[in-house]
Amino acid sequence: MKLNKEFLIHKTDKETVLVPTGNAAFSGVVRGNKTLGAILELLTKETTKEKIISALKERFDAPEDKIEEDVAKALSELSKIGALDE
Amino acid sequence: MKKTYKIAGLNISVSSLYENVHRLCADYISDGEPDIAVITNQSDIDFERKKADGRYSDGYLETLAVYRKIAETMPEHDTVLCHGSALAVDGEGCIFVAPSGTGKSTHARLWRQYLGDRVIMINDDKPLIKITKNGAFVCGTPWDGKHRLSANITVPLKALSVLSQAKENSIRQTEPSEAYAALLQQVYRPKNARALMKTLDLIDTLTAQIRLYSMECNMDIEAARIAYEAMKG
Repeated sequence: MKLNKEFLIHKTDKETVLVPTGNAAFSGVVRGNKTLGAILELLTKETTKEKIISALKERFDAPEDKIEEDVAKALSELSKIGALDE
Repeated sequence: MKKTYKIAGLNISVSSLYENVHRLCADYISDGEPDIAVITNQSDIDFERKKADGRYSDGYLETLAVYRKIAETMPEHDTVLCHGSALAVDGEGCIFVAPSGTGKSTHARLWRQYLGDRVIMINDDKPLIKITKNGAFVCGTPWDGKHRLSANITVPLKALSVLSQAKENSIRQTEPSEAYAALLQQVYRPKNARALMKTLDLIDTLTAQIRLYSMECNMDIEAARIAYEAMKG
């Protein structure tokens, strides 16, 4: 899976924002924390859910099941708004 | 038919199928060499019809198509279209942004009631904002909302207020990070990814240059007094 090309990642000083172009059906803005920022960065290249979880476990000092839960939730939400090419 | 108009400092030639857009832009006529060329066709009008909520003439829909094409190219010229009500007080610009139906135009009207002739409406619906290293400027355009309130002028933009409805009036200054998402929702997002990237960079620059506020307001004139006292800098 990979981030759809109609969605851009933009980082402000405090958060990561995912913004669709005018071509995307979704017209909102997704705001997220560091975890979502890391997930989005990984999605700029072809990857899998398992690879994302593995990368986040290395990067963040959080319980494994919490990371798995966060990744699953983020991917589900991104899929719903058409931000993922699966 | 084809005519050229000077909008936000740029000469824009507009080739249209219908006359409506030329009537709309009459105050902005220019004989300058075009910086941007906009050409519309029936498919642009059909696209606007799909987006529009209601039944409109092709001529009216073409006016929207022309502005969409202008907005698409504006980031290249360090300019963005912002859905908001912009006015100037004593020559300094401020803009109110919020989702449709919140009361941007109503709030701007309260400022006119409170401050009288000191207020000039720059654009009550879709002004352009030019963002430079030397500051931001808000520009009047002919696409000025249902009350047709605008002026063909450009003034320095000093403040932006994100409005929300409330029973009681209150206003506070905010950090760029707080205003960013709300502003992003009201700025035109180009179809072209590179133009969108430029738009996001321009918003970063803009929010670092001007004073930002979050205001909860009702429809009493007191809302204008509180807002003006806080925003006058």
